[in-house]
Amino acid sequence: MIQRVSFSEIIKQKGLDREWDIRRQKLDHIRPEDVERAIYERPGRYSTEKLAALISPAARDYLEQMAQAAAELTIQRFGKTITLYAPVYISSYCCNECLYCGFNRGNKIQRCRLSIGEVLKDADVIAKEGFRDILLVSSEDREFVTTDYIAKLSKKLREKFSSIAIEIYQLSRDEYAELFKAGVNGVTLYQETYNREVYRRYHRSGPKADYEKRLRGPEDIAAAGMREIGLGALLGLGDWRIETLGLAEHADYLMKHFWKSRVSFSFPRLRPAQDMDSGQFQMLTDTDLVQMMLALRLCFADAGLVLSTRESQQLRDRLVGLGITKISAGSKTNPGGYTDGTDTLEQFEVADTRMAADVAEALREKGYEPVWKDWDSAYTKI
Amino acid sequence: MDKLKIANKTFESRLLIGTGKFSSNQTMARAVEVSGTQIVTVALRRVDIANENDDMLAAIDRKKYLLLTNTSGARDAEEAVRLARLSRAATGIEWLKLEVTPDPYYLLPDPAETLKAAEILVKEGFVVLPYINADPVLAKRLEDVGTATVMPLASPIGSNQGIQTRASLEIIIEQSAVPVVVDAGLGLPSHAADAIEMGADAVLVNTAIATAKDPVKMAQAFKLAVEAAELAKDAQPREKIKAASASSPLTGFLRD
Amino acid sequence: MAFLLINGEKKQFDALPENIAELLKHLDIDAATVVAELDGQIVQRQDFAKTKLIDNQKIELLRFVGGG
Repeated sequence: MIQRVSFSEIIKQKGLDREWDIRRQKLDHIRPEDVERAIYERPGRYSTEKLAALISPAARDYLEQMAQAAAELTIQRFGKTITLYAPVYISSYCCNECLYCGFNRGNKIQRCRLSIGEVLKDADVIAKEGFRDILLVSSEDREFVTTDYIAKLSKKLREKFSSIAIEIYQLSRDEYAELFKAGVNGVTLYQETYNREVYRRYHRSGPKADYEKRLRGPEDIAAAGMREIGLGALLGLGDWRIETLGLAEHADYLMKHFWKSRVSFSFPRLRPAQDMDSGQFQMLTDTDLVQMMLALRLCFADAGLVLSTRESQQLRDRLVGLGITKISAGSKTNPGGYTDGTDTLEQFEVADTRMAADVAEALREKGYEPVWKDWDSAYTKI
Repeated sequence: MDKLKIANKTFESRLLIGTGKFSSNQTMARAVEVSGTQIVTVALRRVDIANENDDMLAAIDRKKYLLLTNTSGARDAEEAVRLARLSRAATGIEWLKLEVTPDPYYLLPDPAETLKAAEILVKEGFVVLPYINADPVLAKRLEDVGTATVMPLASPIGSNQGIQTRASLEIIIEQSAVPVVVDAGLGLPSHAADAIEMGADAVLVNTAIATAKDPVKMAQAFKLAVEAAELAKDAQPREKIKAASASSPLTGFLRD
Repeated sequence: MAFLLINGEKKQFDALPENIAELLKHLDIDAATVVAELDGQIVQRQDFAKTKLIDNQKIELLRFVGGG
């Protein structure tokens, strides 16, 4: 029986988990001819060399061409539609010490956790706004937000929502399988950074401090049968260009070995958070962010590209049409934020504060159809 | 290109040769030698009791070439499994080309029986190389089951039509995590080169060589074609440039 | 009179060959090049001389030929 190689081995082989300065030097030597070739080479198909060219410094002069190619490719594959989803935060209690996060256990903040009933109240609010696609978000609050809790919650949510995804602390394969049975169809799990050293630096303690374990997550998610796998790196921790290479390899691996699952990329860009010193990070400019998105779109014709309300209204409106396929709207990033309007700490500051209806209207004005319901778990044999 | 890797073995040549349809064992052996191949396929057939055939296997140096028994003749999974076990018992070799072709006209492979047989044979420890139509989903199903490669056809066996399954073949090549060997229907060296340039890992050729007027020369031509394609890939050719459509600028809003 | 079904054909024998090795000698087939299956069971070459034959058994004798 031929053994499947793990992604951990792949990323080691490709040298994307360490010595990033060497990788960066190679990128710096990429020439304009390489970029030109890459833009039109097998649209939507991935190769390491092609992506490297597209995220190289040299490609910055080709953004308009990349944008035109990416726009066309996205319309071919997705039409002029954008899927809308809403996040609902469940708990901000956390046992991890991640230096970049407002919910870092070391931070002295007011924490909050919701009972299932309270989550359902928040869910009701967003359902009334039209959402049928919900993302449950939680810190690592294992004692309270158990798989049992999520399973029960999910069964209730299925009455109103056709797609239930989770962005919570990492679970085991069996736990993911259990949640799949309970009606969760997607999982988002960010590697945060593919660089081992950087990862170690920012994840001081707690279960999330284990790089290898984190890396394995998406494989477990896919093996458990989840239909949607959300990948992402926290942009700004390390060199975003090499981060993109790591993300792409991860996606390529999952698509090859778990061909029935759909992979999507998110672009959480570091933003101000309480008690955080921004000087230590390698912040991305808007142009960097756009280059990253276009590069990924040109290499992954069918991947979802997801943008949250972390980004401003202006930027989001422009990025629809450049490859984005899914956005959140009217988001509240603190537990209970939709119903009780308390000022408990949000995980990140929301930049696009428009109501969902206004976002939908903006999409329509741009010639795009807002899609509230894309998948119905009634079709699966649960 | 890196060397061809199938299962736990590495090969110098990306050309696999089928030994059927040759006019004589000597010609076959000579063509095999000239092709530079390292893998040859053979079949199992009932001995004709009335006639004493010379032993074809003697003409193949088993130290030089990996013998890949083809289960051709099998019309369902059960027959294929039986032939596989017989072959392994005879040669000790666990590598197998799985071919289940109940259709006697076009010799197209039965996807259901092939998948069924593959699952059984992989569990029994065979290194299975399944011959299939260019069906991307079937290719992933077989990979899930543990086959060492997938071998999608370019066009029906012996038809020499070249690559007629291009679109599907491209998808298989893109999605496969195991080597893709384009097998069946390659009629000219340029077809074989085309397959490698498209990104296939290897090609299997039989009829085009065996039935050429000069099989030995044709074998050499195929060898050169495959090598040419490998060189071309290493040279990284430039793609056709598609002119960007003239429309209003999409990135003009960026200020940094 | 004894019979064996060989490769789908009924063959008659005055005296049934004792074992597979004897049968192959009788048929003038080189044992080294043949694969044998007796009543659906594969017989390893080293066991040809040891495998006794009984009246009315079904035998498949196969050999390697050129194939694609």
